[in-house]
Amino acid sequence: MSNIQQFQYDNKIVRAFGMASFIFGIVGMLVGIILALQIVYPSLNLGPWLTFGRLRPLHTNAVIFAFVGNGIFMGIYYSLQRLLKARMWSSTLSWIHFWGWQVVILLAAITLPLGLTTSGEYSELIWPLDILITVVWVIFGVNMFGTILTRRESHLYVAIWFYIATWVTVAVLHIVRSLEVPVSWTESYPIFSGVQEALVQWWYGHNAVAFFLTTPYLGMMYYFLPKAANRPVYSYKLSIIHFWALIFIYIWAGPHHLLYTSLPDWVQSLGTVFSIMLIAPSWGGMLNGLLTLRGAWDRVANDPVLKFMVVAVIAYGMATFEGPMLSIKSVNAISHFTDWTIAHVHVGALGWNGFLTFGVLYWIWPRMYRTELYSKQLANIHFWIGTLGIIFYAVPLYWAGWTQALMWKEFTPEGTLAWGNFLDTVTQIIPMYTLRIVGGSLFFVGTILGVYNLYKTGQQGSFMANESAEAPARERHPEAPAGEHWHRWIERRPLQMLLFSTIMIAIGGIVQILPMVFVESQVPKISTVQPYTPLELTGRDIYIREGCVGCHSQMIRPFRDETERYGEYSKSGEYIYDRPFLWGSKRTGPDLWREGGKYPDSWHYNHMLDPTTMSPGSIMPAYPHLLEDKLDLSGLPSKINVLRALGTPYSKDFEKYAVGNAQEQAQKIAKNLASQGVKDAQIEDKEIVAVIAYLQRLGTDIKVKPKQ
Amino acid sequence: MYKYLLESVDGIQWFGIGSLLLFFCTFCFVAIRAFISKKEDMDRMANMPLED
Repeated sequence: MSNIQQFQYDNKIVRAFGMASFIFGIVGMLVGIILALQIVYPSLNLGPWLTFGRLRPLHTNAVIFAFVGNGIFMGIYYSLQRLLKARMWSSTLSWIHFWGWQVVILLAAITLPLGLTTSGEYSELIWPLDILITVVWVIFGVNMFGTILTRRESHLYVAIWFYIATWVTVAVLHIVRSLEVPVSWTESYPIFSGVQEALVQWWYGHNAVAFFLTTPYLGMMYYFLPKAANRPVYSYKLSIIHFWALIFIYIWAGPHHLLYTSLPDWVQSLGTVFSIMLIAPSWGGMLNGLLTLRGAWDRVANDPVLKFMVVAVIAYGMATFEGPMLSIKSVNAISHFTDWTIAHVHVGALGWNGFLTFGVLYWIWPRMYRTELYSKQLANIHFWIGTLGIIFYAVPLYWAGWTQALMWKEFTPEGTLAWGNFLDTVTQIIPMYTLRIVGGSLFFVGTILGVYNLYKTGQQGSFMANESAEAPARERHPEAPAGEHWHRWIERRPLQMLLFSTIMIAIGGIVQILPMVFVESQVPKISTVQPYTPLELTGRDIYIREGCVGCHSQMIRPFRDETERYGEYSKSGEYIYDRPFLWGSKRTGPDLWREGGKYPDSWHYNHMLDPTTMSPGSIMPAYPHLLEDKLDLSGLPSKINVLRALGTPYSKDFEKYAVGNAQEQAQKIAKNLASQGVKDAQIEDKEIVAVIAYLQRLGTDIKVKPKQ
Repeated sequence: MYKYLLESVDGIQWFGIGSLLLFFCTFCFVAIRAFISKKEDMDRMANMPLED
């Protein structure tokens, strides 16, 4: 115990991330409430920037990357320093990390309402922001590993393994998902297309949940729950098994988002099996958290911090039981594309992430300000309002999901769909959507109370920017004792831990994705499936810009009710030119894959102007700006060049004729509209013709008779 | 169609089985080693958050 060193923990950076977390929590939740209101009151879609399609990704990104993201960094910067007995390696890097992350969030808040999006769920941000995220993430990693390598405590506590696995996996996921070729400063096309891109997307999307919303929070649970309960974790052995089993299994589960689609069966089965296996490590972790409170349950009744943490861990257990159940194909056949999924993710986001963040904030804040929490009573009120909010959010949406799925699948004794008009299945669940507004608002009010409580706590205390601590210097090359336990060996070696974690998470990705990439050249082409025309391509990009994929799927599953309602089920060969793929994951409106030719051009024109004229009672936003905004074809040559480079068989020099080709097709649609009674001069120069061209093309290629 | 063509990848039928076996072996290795570890080592590690 010689050579005691004195140093200081950096609390300022922890406070900055904490404040960013609750500020963006408020913003993200407020956008969520606006979205919930827009579904019930469509006139609140203030176009074009504040329509549901453009705001939805803003909500998901704000909650995941701004609220939870900043919460992760708050928890890591606080616990990492203390577990390693070292100040963060570089204060400069800490602050570059902080401001870099906030700049990403700010730019996301600007670009998403502008319609600048790649459309991949949770990976919507455009390519320059992808690069910025990569830079910031690397800076965070350098600072974290710098701190680990210069630590005073030789062993790495389990929380730090979770942080290491988070860092490496998010880096791998983000880079692979962002493989795209830029067309302009704001547009790009992904290198994969159709079914392959779908697999990469959901390998990424599911693991964003796993390694951004779960593993860092498990690390925080393993640190802050024992701290708050003032007793060690129930079983350290269980935490070792929890960690290795969880990171190994999680990475395989992505394909459960694509059950009954055109994805190969073996990949779907692998996704299902590993998803069900996930119950074991997830519940192992949950029980380890709850049993940490053995003998201290009496304190839970009086301590709001423990209350928040207990409900967070229970919500984690509920969500991780429900997830595997939803991965069973027969359950997924009912739940997928309905509000059940929305309820499921909110139990995780509000319960697990939200409540653990609040628990940690309520625990950290008084300590950093050297005072007591301003009002325990207010924190208790926050807890109960928040809990009620989660219940009022989730239960109506479970009800809505079941109701709508059963209505979709109901047939009359004569063999026709009982609810042939999709809209009837939507209006039926509007009361549930109204109740969801109540739930979301309750949770939001609770958050405001929490922020007020933390603000007053800060006011009554004095902030300790640098917290003094002391610890003996670490022996650089300690002799390994004879018969040393293997895990103690690895716990002292962070780089080996990084390597093993990387191998663990890489195996799943390689086994699932590489076979799909290997056979790219062998993907069967349906002879009649052709690349999109330049005008259709432009319309498709407008469809992406408006976020239509948030409410409309383009994937008809091979079920009787779906083929009856929408038409022939989807084939993987139909999507080979789809960059990005637009299968979607929620049907607030009907599937559109066989939309082409279903209605005349004028129907789409009138429907975009005011959806209720064509579908009385529709909750779809109106898109009058599509009828007014000038069609921009200037980017077409670059788009054609990039798509050709990626393998779309546009003929040589086609980029030179692309604009002319688009104008020609626009003229034809304008004539059609005129003949169908639409009186609108210069309509061929407006965006609506491109959207009509795209919608009328959807799913029609397999109806074309092959040339003899 | 697509899924049948995937069968042309050498040994595709072993991918699923191999993955499960790989996990099973990894899990057994971690579990056995964790459970035969010394109690005092585990207690020391478990107490780390409480000692800062």
